[in-house]
Amino acid sequence: MFRALLLFLSALLLTSGQSMAATKLVNGIDANFPPFAFIDKTGQPSGFDVEAMNWIAKDMGVEVSHQPIEWDGIITSLLTKKIDIIASGMSITPERAKQVAFTQPYWIIKNVFVVKKGSALTVETLLKGKKIIGVQQGTPEAKWLKEQIATQRFDYELKYYNSSPLAVEDLLNGRIDAAAMNDAPATDAAGKKAVQILGTFGMEQEDFGYAVRKEDKELLDRINTSLKKLMASPDWEALQNKYELNK
Amino acid sequence: MPTSLSVLVDALPYLLQGTFNTAVIVSAAMLLGLLLGVAIAVGLVYGNRPLRFVLGLYVWFFRGVPVLVLLFLFYFGLFTYLGLPFNALVSVSIVLGMTTGAYQANIFKGAMLSLPRGQFKAASALGMTDLQTIRSIILPQILRLSIPAWSNEYSIILKDSALAFVIGAPEIMARTQFVASRTYQPLPLYIAAGLLYFLLTWLGVAALRTLEHRLRIPGYTHHGNP
Repeated sequence: MFRALLLFLSALLLTSGQSMAATKLVNGIDANFPPFAFIDKTGQPSGFDVEAMNWIAKDMGVEVSHQPIEWDGIITSLLTKKIDIIASGMSITPERAKQVAFTQPYWIIKNVFVVKKGSALTVETLLKGKKIIGVQQGTPEAKWLKEQIATQRFDYELKYYNSSPLAVEDLLNGRIDAAAMNDAPATDAAGKKAVQILGTFGMEQEDFGYAVRKEDKELLDRINTSLKKLMASPDWEALQNKYELNK
Repeated sequence: MPTSLSVLVDALPYLLQGTFNTAVIVSAAMLLGLLLGVAIAVGLVYGNRPLRFVLGLYVWFFRGVPVLVLLFLFYFGLFTYLGLPFNALVSVSIVLGMTTGAYQANIFKGAMLSLPRGQFKAASALGMTDLQTIRSIILPQILRLSIPAWSNEYSIILKDSALAFVIGAPEIMARTQFVASRTYQPLPLYIAAGLLYFLLTWLGVAALRTLEHRLRIPGYTHHGNP
C-alpha cells in the first residue's frame, strides 16, 4: 500500500521543478546492502558504490555526500529531489528505467538462494517443495519470484523483509527455508553467519547502474564519462578486491 | 570478548549520536505539539462554531491517519510540493509535532472542561478580557493539571519517532538497523536500541514528574492528602 502511495506521489511530482546546478551531489544509499553500501565502524557511509561514487565525484570536480535512505522509498526520494543520484547496487530494470535514467552498467549481479550451512535443500525443492523463501521487498528478485509462482507453477511462499540481512537472520531463526538475494551480499553474509550459497535459481543475471533523474541529462553524461574512466583505471580492480567482490 | 559484545562496544558512539537525534526530534515535536495543542484547545473550548469546526477537522485528520502515512505524505508530498527544504530530521519533528498537537489539544481541552465555569465569569466581573482570563487564570491551571497526561504523550511520541527510519532520519532505529546489516548481529543491537529508548522514556518521565511536583500549588491539589 505504501509502495502504491509512493508511486502515486512520484508521478504527481515528476513534472514539478527544474534541476539545480550540480556542484554538490547527494547520493542516496541503501545502507543495509553490504558490501556495496553500508555504515562502517566509525559511523561513516562506506562500501564499493560509496567509494566508486567518491572517485567519480572527485573526477567530476563536485562534492558528494551519502544519505542513507530506506530502499523502498529511494526512487521517490530521487524524483522528489531529496537526493540527486542513487549509487547503491541498483539493478537496471525496464520498470525503473521508466522513472529514472541509468548510467552504463558497472557490475553484473546474479541472484542466488542462501540456505543454512549444511542444509540438504536443493534449488529444485525450494522452487517446488512448498517451502518458504525470504526476500527483500522492492527488489527485482522479489518481483521475479512472485511472478514465477503463476507462470512456472512454483509453490513456495514468499516472505518479505526490508533488507536482505534481516532475511538471513530469519533464515537462521528457522522461519524461512531460504533467502533469495544478490550474490555479492550473499557472499558477505556467508562470511559472517552460518549460511551458505546454494546457487542461482533461474533468474537472469542483472546489471547494476547508477540512477539519476531523467531530466538531468548533463549530469548523466558527466557521470558516465567519469565512470568509464574509473572502470579503465587500476583503482577499479583495487576497489573490487577491497570489498571482496571477486571472491 | 564475544563478537556480539565487541560489535556493541564499537557501535555505541554511533548509536548514542542516534539517541541524541531521537531526543532532538522528540523535544522539538513535543514543543510544537504544546504550542499547537494549547492554541487548538483554547479554540475548541472557547471559539465560535466555524473555528471549532475547522479545529475539529485538524484533530480528526491527525488522529485518524497513521503517523507512517503522514510521514510519507508530508516528506515526499507536501513539503516537496511547497518547495520547503526540510531534511528528514526536521520533517519528522514537524509531522510528529502536528500529530501530538492533535492529541495534546484533547488533553488540554479535557483539563479546561474540568475547571468550574464560574471562574470565567468571576474574571470577567473583575474586568479581565477573555484573552487575559485564558492566559492568567485558565492556562496556569490546565497546564499543571495536564502534566501527567502529557508525560504519557511524551512516551508515545518517543516510540513513534522510531518510524522516522523509513525516511532515513539518523535516529536510534535507523542506526541500529545499519549496524545490524553490516555486522549480522541484530539481536544484541536491538536489545541496545530498546534500552536506549527505555533510558529516554525514563529520563523524560522523571523530569516531568519533578516538574509536576515543583509546580504544585500547596493546598490546591490533593497529592498525598486524601
